Amino acid sequence: MIEVSTVLVPTAPKQIFVEKKQLTLESLRGRVIGFIDNAKPNFKDLVDDLEQILIAKYGARKVIKLRKRAASIPAPTAYIDQLAGACDLVITGSGD
Amino acid sequence: MVAVEICSSAFVNLGRSQARALGYENLPIAVVPHPFGTVDRQIVRQFAEKCACDIVALVCLPPVTETLEDYQPIIEDVQGAAELTIEHAPNLMIAFNRLCRDRFWSDGLPVMPTTREAVSAMLAQTKRPPQQVVARLAPGFGVATVECIAINAVLAGCDPEYMPILLAAVEAMATQRFNLQSIQSTTNPAAVWLIVNGPIVERLGINGKFNCLGEGVWANATLGRALRLILRNVSGALPGEMDRATQGQPAKYSFCCAENEGESPWEPLHVERGFSSEQSTVTVVGAEGTMNMCTLVKEADELIRVIGSTFRHPTSNEYVHGAEPWLVLCPEHADILHEAGYTKSEVKRRLWEASKMQASELSKEDMSRLQSSRTTELGVIGADTLLPISHHYEDISIIVAGGSGAHSVYVPCFGNTRSVTVAIASDEN
Amino acid sequence: MANSILIHNPRAPFSQGSGLKASVLDHLAGKVVGFIDNTKPNFNHLMDDLAVTLLEDYQVRSVIKRGKRVQSIPAPSAVVDELVAECDLVITGSGD
Repeated sequence: MIEVSTVLVPTAPKQIFVEKKQLTLESLRGRVIGFIDNAKPNFKDLVDDLEQILIAKYGARKVIKLRKRAASIPAPTAYIDQLAGACDLVITGSGD
Repeated sequence: MVAVEICSSAFVNLGRSQARALGYENLPIAVVPHPFGTVDRQIVRQFAEKCACDIVALVCLPPVTETLEDYQPIIEDVQGAAELTIEHAPNLMIAFNRLCRDRFWSDGLPVMPTTREAVSAMLAQTKRPPQQVVARLAPGFGVATVECIAINAVLAGCDPEYMPILLAAVEAMATQRFNLQSIQSTTNPAAVWLIVNGPIVERLGINGKFNCLGEGVWANATLGRALRLILRNVSGALPGEMDRATQGQPAKYSFCCAENEGESPWEPLHVERGFSSEQSTVTVVGAEGTMNMCTLVKEADELIRVIGSTFRHPTSNEYVHGAEPWLVLCPEHADILHEAGYTKSEVKRRLWEASKMQASELSKEDMSRLQSSRTTELGVIGADTLLPISHHYEDISIIVAGGSGAHSVYVPCFGNTRSVTVAIASDEN
Repeated sequence: MANSILIHNPRAPFSQGSGLKASVLDHLAGKVVGFIDNTKPNFNHLMDDLAVTLLEDYQVRSVIKRGKRVQSIPAPSAVVDELVAECDLVITGSGD
């Protein structure tokens, strides 16, 4: 007869989350869009280009751009509060 | 408010995993090709055209009427550790390690079976209930319960008596100032270095002398290893997935030592940080490697000069951000500085001055990162600006460790992280 | 009855040794003494002081001093051969 043992799984235990629904917008026309620039190279240029395109082509009303001091720190709470209060859509960046 | 994340293609896994971990499974992600940071300006413009289309396609969908609840996931129920039954085919060790290889639970080396008996022995070293949440660990924000920590301690081969150290270390890593999120997911080779001070060092035989940063001592090897296994298995940082380290470093297997308090001419690290000498502590450091400094210098200021010169290198993350460099002084070098009448604080102050680096040493691209990160702190930064390695000289951290020999060690840190020292609870068992 | 398993010792097997006894000299008078300077700091001074003492107080016939380029390499074969041929006693150094 083959011997068996019970072992405990080392990964994080299961958690039960409250389910989140994804919010959407009907269109970007008239909307306020915020960016958190992650300070990685070229992201500022991407943000500037997206600002132009989202206003000119998609009719966004306004763009607010906030830039972190460095990529490896969280955005300040003040940034998040400002964008959450003012924006319909917030865009962040990740990666190199 | 709707949120979208733009990820470079190599980082999509990280973005998705973290969004899922934070309870936002459906976070829209727009992807740009990797590497993004090094392409020319006109290429960025091309990417932007497509990116804008993708963003619109992701967020402009038929309207939903439900309001979004709080982003903070509510941990309604933390379950106990899952159990698996495995056959001893051909024996328990081989079967268990085969399982661990298949499921990526190991650091690449053989591990110890996490039997109920072994985990119970570990749990007996603490009064905390097994399901108590010690921390949620970035980047996957897995819940580190007492039991989960114990399981990974068994996996690593720890003695049960090491459990209070690991509990304290996990708490320390989860503090905001340590910035585990960035340490775990960076392309830098950041490893968590665990430094132990106080009476527990001798009681558990943690090495702070010969080869203290190397292998051979059970406590050093298994404590550091347990921490890494927790960071893999609980917080989810697997290489190439959420752990984006380009090469990593050997210290990611294990990086743990004690301070050689007996041969230090100054107060030890934990006393310097406000703890009593009789209180045992752990300190966690986001470390990027070790650099040997072999010097036969006998004069204090000359020793400081050559150490300061060693700190300076144009590819340093520390100068870009103003960081917390670490110095492991061998007893001989510590004695030279102490006999010159220098306190630890005076050594730090002189070293801070001696290690300033001209900004022109950095590449143009890294100058841009530097200016972004430190203009608020330093004002306008030009080619002639002398950069201090840290915001303040007291941010340079020093321990005395090692055996005999004229070798000290520079341990650069990740950059945007600060070490955290936490007391080890003395009433755990 | 407890199960047991047979394991193999991972250490390298012991060598039996050559069985050679250490050579000794009945006295130093009239002998030739060689030094291999390992170039560690102060060894040259120790070597010089020992040479004076051996000549004056122990009447050695002569002292031959040879060195290495750096401490972390073996002494050149030529140095070893010379000292083996010429000396009754060779003194080396180790450590800092």
